[in-house]
Amino acid sequence: MTSANEKITNEMFQPADLAQSESEKISENVVSVWRDAMRRFFQNKGALASLVILTLIILLAIFGPYFNHYGANTQDLNKSNLPPKISALSFLPFFSGEQAGVDIYQQHNVHEDHWFGTDQLGRDLWTRTWDGTRVSLLIALIATLADVFIGVTYGGISGYFGGAVDNILQRIIEIISGIPSLILTILLILIMKPGITTITISILLTNWVPMSRIVRGEVLKFKNQEFILASTTLGASHKRVLFKHLIPNSMGMIIVNTMFSIPTAIFFEAFLSFIGLGIRDPQASLGSLINSGYEVLQLQPYQTLYPGLVLCLLLISFNLIGNGLRDALDPKLRR
Amino acid sequence: MGRYVLKRIGFMIVTFFVVVTLTFIAMKMLPGTPFLNPKLDPTQRQALMHEYGLDQPLAIQYVKYIWELLQGNMGTSFQYGNEEVTTLLFQKFPVSMNLGFEAIIIGAILGTLLGIFAGLHRGKFLDWGSMIFSMLGISIPSFIFAGILQYFLGVAIPLFPVAGWEGASSHVLPVASLAVGVLAEVAIFMRTEMVEVLNQDYIVTAKAKGLSKNAVVFKHAVRNALIPVVTILGPLTAAIITGSLVIEDIFGIPGIGDQYVKSIVTNDYPMIMGTTELYAALFILTIFIVDLLYGVIDPRIRVSGGHN
Amino acid sequence: MMGKLLEVKNLQVQFDIFGAHVQAVRGVTFELNKGETLAIVGESGSGKSVTSKALMGLIPNPPGKIKEGQIVFEGKDLVANTEKDWMKLRGKDISMIFQDPMTALNPTMKVGKQIMEGLILHQHMSKSQARERAIDLLRRVGIPNPEKRVEEYPHQFSGGMRQRVVIAIALACNPKVLIADEPTTALDVTIQAQILDLMRDIQKDTGTAIILITHDLGVVANMAQRVAVMYGGKIVETGTLDEIFYNPKHPYTWGLLSSMPKLHAKTDKLQAIPGTPPDLSNPPKGCPFAPRCPYAMKVCVDQMPAYTHLSETQKAACWLQDERAPKVEPPKTIGVGGE
Ligand SMILES: Nc1ncnc2c1ncn2[C@@H]1O[C@H](COP(=O)(O)OP(=O)(O)OP(=O)(O)O)[C@@H](O)[C@H]1O
Ligand code: SF4
Ligand SMILES: [Mg+2]
Repeated sequence: MTSANEKITNEMFQPADLAQSESEKISENVVSVWRDAMRRFFQNKGALASLVILTLIILLAIFGPYFNHYGANTQDLNKSNLPPKISALSFLPFFSGEQAGVDIYQQHNVHEDHWFGTDQLGRDLWTRTWDGTRVSLLIALIATLADVFIGVTYGGISGYFGGAVDNILQRIIEIISGIPSLILTILLILIMKPGITTITISILLTNWVPMSRIVRGEVLKFKNQEFILASTTLGASHKRVLFKHLIPNSMGMIIVNTMFSIPTAIFFEAFLSFIGLGIRDPQASLGSLINSGYEVLQLQPYQTLYPGLVLCLLLISFNLIGNGLRDALDPKLRR
Repeated sequence: MGRYVLKRIGFMIVTFFVVVTLTFIAMKMLPGTPFLNPKLDPTQRQALMHEYGLDQPLAIQYVKYIWELLQGNMGTSFQYGNEEVTTLLFQKFPVSMNLGFEAIIIGAILGTLLGIFAGLHRGKFLDWGSMIFSMLGISIPSFIFAGILQYFLGVAIPLFPVAGWEGASSHVLPVASLAVGVLAEVAIFMRTEMVEVLNQDYIVTAKAKGLSKNAVVFKHAVRNALIPVVTILGPLTAAIITGSLVIEDIFGIPGIGDQYVKSIVTNDYPMIMGTTELYAALFILTIFIVDLLYGVIDPRIRVSGGHN
Repeated sequence: MMGKLLEVKNLQVQFDIFGAHVQAVRGVTFELNKGETLAIVGESGSGKSVTSKALMGLIPNPPGKIKEGQIVFEGKDLVANTEKDWMKLRGKDISMIFQDPMTALNPTMKVGKQIMEGLILHQHMSKSQARERAIDLLRRVGIPNPEKRVEEYPHQFSGGMRQRVVIAIALACNPKVLIADEPTTALDVTIQAQILDLMRDIQKDTGTAIILITHDLGVVANMAQRVAVMYGGKIVETGTLDEIFYNPKHPYTWGLLSSMPKLHAKTDKLQAIPGTPPDLSNPPKGCPFAPRCPYAMKVCVDQMPAYTHLSETQKAACWLQDERAPKVEPPKTIGVGGE
């Protein structure tokens, strides 16, 4: 520092009043927690790729069935078990419409393409796959609603009021979660007939339990913090404290947990449809499509491939987005 | 500790009775009992109803049903020429048990190792690799994984039989299909625990004593990371039960999972009830054992006997 | 003075996280003599713990690394150590006591075993010898009924008792240097005094040199012979206990002393130093204290003040010591000073 000393002049020893300006700069540096989380989320390549894939799947589920004129239930036995064919891509072996070197389309005198091929009844699998994807997405929506409306409210009330209310609500949860959800669902299926309604009810019955636990934990954590106590003292109503203060503070956890409960629900529907207790033919669901594909797995593996692929991509995407959100929002990593 | 165990046992019994009662109610609400067959004339139906005690008040039917159940009497299956449900269950249960155990043990051991490994190499290539593998394992449903294995290792390259349950080689594909999910779940959980434990102060204390990296990892970190893994054994059992329904079906394994699906499709009510109750008991018991186990291996709970 | 045991020269430690380079320690120089107690004081984030971890080779790498400097212990530079060298040194020649006794012990290992580990490792004792010694150590740190307590788990001990166990672990192999990183912060006041008494007692018996890290100047006054004041990754002033308490020269030291509650003061209101410490990922060019310093001059903003040697033992890094600077009197509120 001695070398620098030479440039130092006497008037530099005048008082400088910088105490304030500097500390203001520091407070500007405080980035909002949410913007920070968003930034981290978008840095996560896996999560970002998943978001793109998921968007694509959603778009295809909405518009895919209209890309051709086949109905999801249009049967044509002449066209049964056609392999996938996309004329524009027919140089690719798996879109050539050929099987063991024979052009099946020519053999059956079919002049139109079936991008994902057809099933045993000659139904177009492209249409059916996206039709089935709609079911999965509908289930995702229902699971989200169950989480948000039942899980959050239940957990919030349980944690906020505590005492006897909490005690009773928690004992109920203990019993619900003591019974595997599969068993509850199967009992329901016995009473009602298999189908989307039954699955919806069973999701409404069981899927929100983890969410309610998490929200309860969060509410318990925040309940006694100063800003909450302050607003209680200021005369805010229970509803207001719970929904304006406590739950928004738990938003991170709620979002992350919703993201994780969606794939569970999608899997559950696909699983039930796969064993024949969910969506049944002629209605399409990814699970039931895979199941019928299995009957001809050795000869026509593509019938399993496409619905299976879509289902896996859906589940992986939701899990990776959930992971990405959790890492982005986890306060432990923020330091 | 004693009081806690008693309380837990009380809770188990309550939960089990809720299941039993729900099953009973479900059976009573069934749209199509065999006796509603329109071919039966009213007097015949009356006679049948009387014979099976169905004309009595519900409360009495319920008590009778419980009483029979407590004696291990679950009625006879509609499907298999009036064979006792209990007998059928005893016949098929060991097969499912065997499949489930193999899957859970193989999955848990490999998952633990993978998780430790990933946690130790946090952020490195190997960590990414094993976590991508685990993400796939968690996401891909066992019934799809079974198809992939069956197609590639059973059909395309016929290494293992694609169906049946005889001899060790027939176990490979079904056990692998079930174990992958367990492995992935355990690996991710174990990795999180390892990372968490490795950040704890007592790890620094251990290093500050001059212990080698291996001693720190295996004597201090792994043990502490392993304890909470026990808690996911409950959910894993549920997942294995669920998985076995499809895996037994896909691989044609004569266990209760496959049986269960068949009874549901054929409306074999006594069999459905019996299997449901067996599953519920199994699940409740597992959770109970896991809880006790946790108390035994975690000294903080073991001594104080408390449990939050 | 007895001979130098440890000499730290221009130590610089950097953490690379999220693309930022946090310069936690920026050229720290000090020395430790045999048998003495050196206190390092300074507010949160000033780099005290990082400095002490560097002395044990415990800077987590990645993200941390020693960028420059030397740590000379008994004539050998530890910065060049391999992990193997460190393992031989840790717990044997240099030991450490941590801030939070609730988390510093392995919850699933018996207390006795945690003490025995180091003994078996460094002193090649058999299990039964180590156990005997562990019992002795527990007795020495004032744990009643040690024969029974060795078999217990940490959660069966109170906070103060656990800190005694931590001390027993650190002392097991008679280290030459004991680093105590805020050993009493997590304890309540009466227990604090007991633990400090214990450390002083032990020092008298064994002649261990102690580096005591703390925020608490009261603790410093009770324990230390020399004091180093850290701020923004630097030592801004160092001197003997009397020099720092009765003749401090650095405005940050003044601030610290004013913020210390006086024993007989009528109010117990702490006079905190307004403002926040500097962002070490983008450290200021000049004096790190400038934004908060009531005496800051223009020169302070972008010129780093050099050390001014005020006596054989005291030096301070502050432009006020320059002859061109206006003469400034330390504030009257300083804790022990005056009277
Ligand atoms: N492992 C780490 N990774 C990244 N930065 C770290 C790490 N450890 C310490 N730092 C940074 O180094 C700086 C100094 O930290 P240090 O722990 O030495 O402070 P301290 O003086 O001990 O404070 P306290 O009184 O709170 O213990 C801090 O700004 C901190 O953010
Ligand atoms: S150098 Fe300047 S800013 Fe720093 S302490 Fe001294 S007077 Fe204050
Ligand atoms: Mg510290």
